[in-house]
Amino acid sequence: MRLKKPKEKEPPKLVMEPMVDCVFLLLIFFMVANILKPTLPFSVELPDSKSREEYVRKKFNVYINANGQMSVDDQAMRDYDALEDYLLPRVNEIETLMIHADKNTKHGDVIDAMERAKHVMIDNIAFVLSDEEIE
Amino acid sequence: MYEESQAKAAIIARKSRREPTVNMTPMIDCVFLLIIFFMLATTFSPLPGMRVKLPPPSQAQSQTKPEHFILNINNPEAGEAEGFMQLNDREVNMVDLSANFMAGTEKQKETLIIRSGRRVKHEQIVTVMDKAKRAGVKKIGFAMVASAF
Repeated sequence: MRLKKPKEKEPPKLVMEPMVDCVFLLLIFFMVANILKPTLPFSVELPDSKSREEYVRKKFNVYINANGQMSVDDQAMRDYDALEDYLLPRVNEIETLMIHADKNTKHGDVIDAMERAKHVMIDNIAFVLSDEEIE
Repeated sequence: MYEESQAKAAIIARKSRREPTVNMTPMIDCVFLLIIFFMLATTFSPLPGMRVKLPPPSQAQSQTKPEHFILNINNPEAGEAEGFMQLNDREVNMVDLSANFMAGTEKQKETLIIRSGRRVKHEQIVTVMDKAKRAGVKKIGFAMVASAF
């Protein structure tokens, strides 16, 4: 009997292509869904509240610190005119203007910022609260 | 001469018959690193907030109808954290503010208008808004002075 000569063994191959496809899809998903936390030029300690609504995190958040310094995301704003000029071309992208005001911020500063937002036809405004829910 | 080169070419062709492969491993390493970065940096948790309403500019001064709650908050005195408050011209403090809101009529609970001094802390405003919301007040607005900026 003539035995068949065993075939030369090829090294086992790992099929990478489907995994690479999945990985790329995941990468694209995270890149699109990602909103990076802005690095603020100052610190803001948000007030607490038991009653709260939930909002989707989006771009163009206004930050006001205890001394009245302002920024939109990581862009520091010199004054209220600068804030208004910055918001004006981006009005269509802002559904609700989220104001992150420090708990020690003077109410007058918050009102001024809201007034400027209203001036550029942003009607939906919300104050952002601290993440930790108080008991 | 020609034949010799032909033979050489044939040998080369035989040697390089193996299929060309693209080495994917370093790329996959990089892509995985990127994925891990984006997964860690992405925040999907919603942002807790509190909606506020602003009166239309023409009504900025006229929102003083007595059928709504109107809360006046004075600027805090030197050394004090909170400003003195008056709800519909009656003096109130933070402790019994909730009870005052709850005791209001349905009509009053529709809207609360906060008229606050400029130096009042944002925290006090948010605390008042919190108490009002939990007492069933539907809309909270701020009285503004129309400024000519």
